[in-house]
Amino acid sequence: MSTKELVSTIEIPATASRQDELYQEAAAAYGAALERLARAYEADADLRRDLLQDIHVELWRSFQTFDDRCSMRTWIYRVAHNVGASHVIRQRRTRTEALVGLEELENLPDPDGDQAADRSHALDRLLQLIQQLKPLDRHVILSYLEGLDAAAIGEITGLSAVNVATKIHRIKNLLARWFQQGGKSND
Amino acid sequence: MTETLGNSVQTLWQSQPVEVTKMSVEELRRRAGKFERKIRWRNTREYVASLVAAGLMGYFYVTANDVASKVTFALFIAAMLWIVIALHRMGSAKRTPLDTDTLTTQQFYRAELERQLAVVKNVLWWYLAPMIPGMIGCTVAYLLKHHHRWAWGGLVLMDGLFVAVFYGVWKLNTLAARCLERMINDLDAVTQQV
Repeated sequence: MSTKELVSTIEIPATASRQDELYQEAAAAYGAALERLARAYEADADLRRDLLQDIHVELWRSFQTFDDRCSMRTWIYRVAHNVGASHVIRQRRTRTEALVGLEELENLPDPDGDQAADRSHALDRLLQLIQQLKPLDRHVILSYLEGLDAAAIGEITGLSAVNVATKIHRIKNLLARWFQQGGKSND
Repeated sequence: MTETLGNSVQTLWQSQPVEVTKMSVEELRRRAGKFERKIRWRNTREYVASLVAAGLMGYFYVTANDVASKVTFALFIAAMLWIVIALHRMGSAKRTPLDTDTLTTQQFYRAELERQLAVVKNVLWWYLAPMIPGMIGCTVAYLLKHHHRWAWGGLVLMDGLFVAVFYGVWKLNTLAARCLERMINDLDAVTQQV
């Protein structure tokens, strides 16, 4: 038996086919969401490609132990967000901008009204907002933008229902301030 | 109104054009395998280094022809075995589980960093201190064997080497501790209290 064969024998788990199937199912259903998620964690295109590959590898690896204790969607978002958060922590040393929480972001000055009104830059502005956030708040806002409900967000982040509700309320106000010309939310 | 705006931002986010990354299972397996091998190598390296050193000391013990040298080598072997046991008890670096919720993952990661920090900070007690009896034995064995005028020079050289190795190990661990402290600070800077 060659070394290559030996390594391969060691690394392929008994449930390899189920693992592969689960991964393929996940990649097909959530591939676009994972791309969007990576975009929110890394602005640089090359680093983002690496991050995405890491997410895919970790996702595939995680399916070795997937046991239906939570939904596949929760599982995928947990793994992807945790890889994204690790990336943010690793990159922190090379980047000067400090990350903030939703509470701090609420206290920052409103964005420029003219820019806010320009819908063609809306996505860039949204990314700019998300990329300033600390990982936990980033998880919440991304999950909200992906259309997940409060219960699902709680499952992914480990936050209580009350905490999730408060954060979502803040997110809505922030989005109103950032995307509504004239500033403050009417909520 | 905020609700409507929220929905339109959700639509904006979800409808952004993306190019979906596709990775074959072979490619995933190759990349995951590379990482696993790195971890496995890191874990075995620590044991193998101690066991090789113990084996070498065993050889010297068998071939030594005076009691002082035999005692010295026996002390070194005991120290190496102590280190292997200590390494085993402390456990290798654990992989952070990624399939748990964010807060649990962050807590686990921080605890693991703290544990590793304690290991490198205590290197004096679990790695260097057990070597000291062997080092003293070595000095005694040398003095018993060498009586010529230049014996002190050899002794200074030998003990100087021991001290240099001790200092090197201590310094490396100090650097590792600083790196771990930085990692903990980085983590704390982006972690939120809830």
